[in-house]
Amino acid sequence: MSKPKVAFFDFTSCEGCQLSILNLETELLELLDIVDIVEFREAMSEKSDTFDIAVIEGSYSRDSDLGRLKEIRETAGVVVALGACAHIGGLNALRNSQQREDLLKKVYPDHPDWYETNEKALPISAAIKVDAVVPGCPVDVKEFVHVVKNLVLGKDPGLPTYPVCVECKLNENICVYELGKTCLGPVVRAGCNAVCTSNGGVCIGCRGLIPNPNLNSQKDIMQKYGLDIQRIIDSVNLFMTENAREVQ
Amino acid sequence: MMTAVLEKQATKDNIILGMKKAMSEYDIAALTKKEGKVLFDYIDDVNKIELEYTPTVLSPKKFFFPQEEVILEYTMEGKVQAKINYRKMVLFGVRPCDITGIQILDEAFAESNGDPNYLTKRENSVIIGIDCNSVCDENAFCYKVNSQYPDGGFDIMLHDLGNSYAMTIATDKGETFAEQYFDSGKVDSEAMEEFLRVKEHAFVKAGGPFEELENLPEIFAENEHHPIWESEAERCLSCGSCIMVCPTCYCFDVIDELALSMKIGDRLRRWDACMLRSFAEVAGGENFREEVKNRVKHRINRKFNFLMKKHGKSVCVGCGRCVRSCLADISPVTIVEALTKTSKQMRLAEKNNELYLPVKAFIRKIVQFTEKEKFFELELENGKSLNHQPGQFILLSIFGIGEAAISISSPPSFGNRFDIVVRAVGDVTNKLHTLEEGDFVFIRGPFGHGFDESIQRKMEGKHILFIAGGIGYVPLRSLINFTLKQKEDYGRISILYGCKSPEDRMYKDELDYISTIGGNVTLLETVDTADKSWLKNTGVITSLIPMVKFHPENTLAVVCGPPVMYKFVIKTLNDQGLSNENIYVSLERRMKCGVGKCGHCQLDDIYVCQEGPVFRFSDIEDKEEAL
Ligand SMILES: Cc1cc2nc3c(=O)[nH]c(=O)nc-3n(C[C@H](O)[C@H](O)[C@H](O)COP(=O)(O)OP(=O)(O)OC[C@H]3O[C@@H](n4cnc5c(N)ncnc54)[C@H](O)[C@@H]3O)c2cc1C
Ligand code: SF4
Ligand code: SF4
Ligand code: SF4
Ligand code: SF4
Ligand code: SF4
Ligand code: FES
Repeated sequence: MSKPKVAFFDFTSCEGCQLSILNLETELLELLDIVDIVEFREAMSEKSDTFDIAVIEGSYSRDSDLGRLKEIRETAGVVVALGACAHIGGLNALRNSQQREDLLKKVYPDHPDWYETNEKALPISAAIKVDAVVPGCPVDVKEFVHVVKNLVLGKDPGLPTYPVCVECKLNENICVYELGKTCLGPVVRAGCNAVCTSNGGVCIGCRGLIPNPNLNSQKDIMQKYGLDIQRIIDSVNLFMTENAREVQ
Repeated sequence: MMTAVLEKQATKDNIILGMKKAMSEYDIAALTKKEGKVLFDYIDDVNKIELEYTPTVLSPKKFFFPQEEVILEYTMEGKVQAKINYRKMVLFGVRPCDITGIQILDEAFAESNGDPNYLTKRENSVIIGIDCNSVCDENAFCYKVNSQYPDGGFDIMLHDLGNSYAMTIATDKGETFAEQYFDSGKVDSEAMEEFLRVKEHAFVKAGGPFEELENLPEIFAENEHHPIWESEAERCLSCGSCIMVCPTCYCFDVIDELALSMKIGDRLRRWDACMLRSFAEVAGGENFREEVKNRVKHRINRKFNFLMKKHGKSVCVGCGRCVRSCLADISPVTIVEALTKTSKQMRLAEKNNELYLPVKAFIRKIVQFTEKEKFFELELENGKSLNHQPGQFILLSIFGIGEAAISISSPPSFGNRFDIVVRAVGDVTNKLHTLEEGDFVFIRGPFGHGFDESIQRKMEGKHILFIAGGIGYVPLRSLINFTLKQKEDYGRISILYGCKSPEDRMYKDELDYISTIGGNVTLLETVDTADKSWLKNTGVITSLIPMVKFHPENTLAVVCGPPVMYKFVIKTLNDQGLSNENIYVSLERRMKCGVGKCGHCQLDDIYVCQEGPVFRFSDIEDKEEAL
């Protein structure tokens, strides 16, 4: 049986997720036992026209992206969204709440018209069907390997549907709310092993919302712990721009 | 698990030294500090043991049922091997709630299909508990579910006696361990008793058990559609924290993890939680517990209904961890109390359907107290407890004759027996006096407003002055015995009792006993007339009052006796500076229905059978008919 071919593509992103994967040297080598990597701009130069698994990094933020995404979809058996940008729009989507023209002038004051960009930065699922997701900013490389492995095995690479709090508690952390901070952990998808709250930080939501989050209650709790509504919206806005409005 | 309980004692230094020695043979896990938090963890130095308790995020169940553990190893060629990881360990310093939790897990994992991974770890562990004699924080509620007194789940329990620990050794394993590692001697039983007394006091003071702890499974079954499920679920985040931290949750998920080589793999189990949305999901996305409400209901029902029936005790051990970790402030206590309240109201409504329907009670014991007064111990045929407050009364019927209001003279208790004392004055009471042990009567009640919890709370720490005349001792006896049982809760207890003659005294043996208690308890008696054999006072009851020194601002008087007595007693108390706010009276009125309907007992706009017979005197002093 020939090994499935995996190709990497990048759209609007910092390419940090691909970098993280390259850092995973030993596992990457082992991964190569089960798949062939055929297109990986960060690591390889030759390009391939056929592939089974397309791993896409970055958000869909230009009209010209659409054709390329559709082409990838048609060729690939399986499409994997890699990282927060591809999964939920990522930090790119921060701008979605502002007017494009104003923003272009602000960021590129001299040549706003040189740059092509849509009204919004969107997850790639806004353009094409996505079969699997590796969330996070940056991604957790172990989870990446886990997802690819399951796809090769023909298993559903299912992400946890429970929130970060579960992993946070398994790590026996004192909840940051008790320490006077606020955290999006109760509504954000686990899988990162609560890496932020376990290392002195708070969860800012890079893995996106769980299915059926109780945003109302989350808002009430953040308010009870002293955040005004604007700061609550800002904190949700960072990674979950589309949901920030629901909180309002 | 419990073998003969052995009591020993060793100094704290010696216990710690023993743990140090045990390190050569065992891994030691104990309460310790790590990166600013207190948790149960393996230690490499006994000086790192924290003896004082701070509630931990996770309970020590993790040592026997870890967050994640491999249960099988396999190869793709088809070789498979069960995997059990265990270490020979001592778990040191577990608190009573968590021990009760371990006891419950022991039962759960041992039943029907014994779980080898859990049981092997348990068999290779020695559990040394440290007893609590105060409540650890405001979220803990072990005392509401009685988990602070574990009757198993440990090998040795240490009780802090200052410089040393008394040891309750419950198992052979514990005995061997103590013999090998501790230099133990005889227990200072006085210090131990004092420890237990302080402990009991602290937990009673904190509020005592849930009102209907034993009936909770029934109450939960009755309240399947209670609105609180909806209102709590609205706030619930389905975050699972409550389950992760619970010492008695034991659901898990099973996951196959294949190595990247694709040749070998592990099957592992990981804690799972019924509060998580995916928990009851089956193929096709169908979810049996889609609604948050049903998940909250399931979780709490497991603790107080489904599993409580199986284990015969609350499966929530009241450690308070879920309360501490729930950002949405969802607590088992709020839910249990709301459901209990509703069930009680429902039962009251049901009872009202049977407002006039008496239940059968057998006479178990009769004692002739005086010429006219007899003591009866009654037992309800339905096996239920009367569930009364001190100061309440029943209506006693003898069919064909009628009904009479009679005070309950025994203190509140769990059994289905209670005492009354009856003076033969007319139809019902005369007939009762002709009955014998084994005969039956019918009763309704308990009725009226007795010395309820709010009055009991006001009494705490005060000097309590009981003043009883004649048969008036009987209605007060329930409260007197109740206070004597926990006498250290009161500043002083003075009982003043007056009768016509020594022959008219009620409960003579008990009075003689009370006079020997001493400490903060005083009994003063007087009779109107007596011969020389009477060594106590003679004179009217008011003559006893000046013999008791009391500070009016810190004293509470409780008065019951024949109608003429009240006026004089209250005047004397007022003269001594005691205000009517601090005087409680139990009034007698003619009563027929006992339930606020017939109007016989009315005192102006007050039905004595409902709002009384116990009143704060200041509430009724300006009613002409009061005395
Ligand atoms: C709250 C309360 C608690 C009581 N506790 C006790 C107790 O613990 N032990 C005890 O022996 N007695 C107690 N009594 C009094 C008892 O209820 C009466 O003695 C009894 O009802 C008389 O009933 P009978 O059928 O035997 O007498 P009856 O034949 O009905 O009457 C005999 C005489 O008793 C008087 N009497 C009748 N009913 C009452 C009544 N309800 N209250 C006062 N006098 C009445 C009648 O006026 C008559 O003079 C209590 C009464 C009340 C209101
Ligand atoms: S710190 Fe954040 S993730 Fe952890 S329990 Fe608290 S809210 Fe949940
Ligand atoms: S804790 Fe939150 S912010 Fe941090 S990695 Fe996990 S999901 Fe992202
Ligand atoms: S909940 Fe009760 S038994 Fe448990 S540690 Fe606190 S006081 Fe002790
Ligand atoms: S901790 Fe509170 S909010 Fe989270 S699942 Fe439990 S009850 Fe719901
Ligand atoms: S339900 Fe809450 S209080 Fe009860 S045992 Fe579990 S964590 Fe402790
Ligand atoms: S006894 Fe009937 S109203 Fe009080």
